[in-house]
Amino acid sequence: MSESRTPLTDTADRLFADVAANPDAAFAEVWPAIAEAGFESLLLSEEQGGFGGDWGDLFAVARLAGAHALAAPVGEAAVAAWALAQAGLAPSEGLATIAPVVDGCLADGRFTGSLRGAPWGGAAETVVATHAGSLLRLRTADAHVQAGHSPVGEPRDILIFEAAAVEAAPCDIDLFACGAFLRTAQIAGALDAALEASIVYANERVQFGKPISKFQTVQQSLAVFAIEAAAVNSAGQAAARAADAGDAGFEFAAAKLRANAAAGQGAALAHQVHGAIGFTHEYPLHRLTRRLAGWRSEFGGDRFWAQRLGCRVAGLGPEGLWPELARRSDAA
Amino acid sequence: MRDFIAREAPKSDAAGRANCWAVCDADFSKAMGRAGYVGMTWPVEYGGHARHPLHRYVVLEELLAAGAPVGMHWIADRQSGPLLLRYGTEEQRRVHLPGIAAGETYVCIGMSEPGAGSDLASIRTQGVRDGDGWRISGQKVWTTNAHNAQLMIALVRTVEGSQRNEGLTQFLIPLDTPGVTVRPIIDLVGGHDFNEVFLDNVHVPDTARVGAEGNGWKQVTAELSLERSGPERYLSSYAALVELIRFAGPDPEPVLAVLIGRLTAELWTLRQMSQSTAAKLAAGEDPALEAAIVKDLGNSFEQELPRAIQAALDGADDLSAATDLMRVLALLLQVSPSFSLRGGTREILRGIIARGLGLR
Repeated sequence: MSESRTPLTDTADRLFADVAANPDAAFAEVWPAIAEAGFESLLLSEEQGGFGGDWGDLFAVARLAGAHALAAPVGEAAVAAWALAQAGLAPSEGLATIAPVVDGCLADGRFTGSLRGAPWGGAAETVVATHAGSLLRLRTADAHVQAGHSPVGEPRDILIFEAAAVEAAPCDIDLFACGAFLRTAQIAGALDAALEASIVYANERVQFGKPISKFQTVQQSLAVFAIEAAAVNSAGQAAARAADAGDAGFEFAAAKLRANAAAGQGAALAHQVHGAIGFTHEYPLHRLTRRLAGWRSEFGGDRFWAQRLGCRVAGLGPEGLWPELARRSDAA
Repeated sequence: MRDFIAREAPKSDAAGRANCWAVCDADFSKAMGRAGYVGMTWPVEYGGHARHPLHRYVVLEELLAAGAPVGMHWIADRQSGPLLLRYGTEEQRRVHLPGIAAGETYVCIGMSEPGAGSDLASIRTQGVRDGDGWRISGQKVWTTNAHNAQLMIALVRTVEGSQRNEGLTQFLIPLDTPGVTVRPIIDLVGGHDFNEVFLDNVHVPDTARVGAEGNGWKQVTAELSLERSGPERYLSSYAALVELIRFAGPDPEPVLAVLIGRLTAELWTLRQMSQSTAAKLAAGEDPALEAAIVKDLGNSFEQELPRAIQAALDGADDLSAATDLMRVLALLLQVSPSFSLRGGTREILRGIIARGLGLR
């Protein structure tokens, strides 16, 4: 954990709350204020002109973005800037986002193919992706953009390139797993916020002559919700510690898998406690729960991460899992 | 630690390694005592080893992951010793702690009664002053290991007619005291872990009292945080995961790979949560809410694990097959319902969590 966590999270909390207060504002009006705050240079060292933060800081900021249902690629921009610096490429001008899915080929410094599911891909200046051991940076202006959307309506665009100019550098970063880490953090924040809203609502809503929070069955549902939220927050923070200590492939996988399970259960419980009011467009719960629905699939659904983690553990053998768990946490 | 376990723990099959903190083996407990693995955090003057609590935590994890039979001394090491260190008299510590740390003195917990299960504050076992001592009468039930232990720490109502959690006091009762009768309760698979303990006008000196008169509720509540957050609350079924990995092989079919991945993610998450609660306990906090969360989530994992494995197998073998995997599954499918009963039911834990959320 870096020492500046508290001023950092205070700034993020205030800024994201301001943005969230006006959910219909256009992205082009929203992004400059977020860019101004410098979150995209969060993981860059001070020599690189950055904030000198760690993965714990990124977890905290992305978690707040999730808690406020922030409609902006703040984490994606931070990961893109970090990956570019790691690969020795120059910083980006304007917004750089990341793309989870890359399909195409690289030849003679030109890229032909598509980047899919890129958050705000069409609005960004550049998109960063990994392909065959290289980090690629492509200019959105060179792409044919097909607009795609997440369930809540955030841009998840397809960018199609035909022999486009590309900057490429050798790179062993697992950008997809970094994206999964971001979604884990956002799920953690959104679950905490939806839990808080559900508690407030249950304490206010009166039926059968008393607040529904006084019914044991509602209390037990909210307790389960709190357990799920606690699990994701704990998993996400542990994944951040692992990333700060070194390789976090195992932890990013485990944390996203845990977050995915909680995203489904938490959203369902939030709606159950809220009753019909939570199903209205006017009530803000859906900003959290519709995002939770999308984030569960993005950067790896349950099956993807379960299979990857399961194969890895199977490779350790029956006596190998426990020593590996212990060794990895000793390192962190 | 792994060398010690490999050298000293009796070899057993997967079913023998499951739920191993309920498996009693006095020889192994004494070997642990000799090696300094019981009472690890206690002061040296009481037979302890002055180690950091998180060092002890790592040792517990290794024992449970290996399925070592630690049941004989588990309760004394986990909560009775710490209780005496915190609330006991100097004499009680000097008399009892060295034997516990040696892996030779075992303790059972006299909390539940026939009319006081989840509603622990309704206990009726009564203690009345008798000269310099006390006369205690009543009945305890579900008393794990009372048939092996030398001592019971009993929660007793010492103010007649006192309400609920007031007027309760803890006593250290040697189980060979006249008037104490221990009767076995055989569990659903034929095992003998718990007992009924009858207390018929049992006389103990006042020096058997643990802590101040009337302080019993506060003391047992503190004990429960120790009881609820440890690695035993999510590792009881770990032996079945090991056998699943063995069965699946290094290149598992997708349905088994997905299951192993899912169970591993939950295990890893629970370990982070349990360790973080252990760190709070080590720092002198009382993380009762976090402990309840760890226990409920951990118990759900321990219970789901054998069911999920059973559901994922192709059914070519049934539970009568004499393989390690099927034997450990068969055992856990039968005994795992107890995991969310012992040490506080799921409903009680969720009530504690709900109170922490400001709902009660």
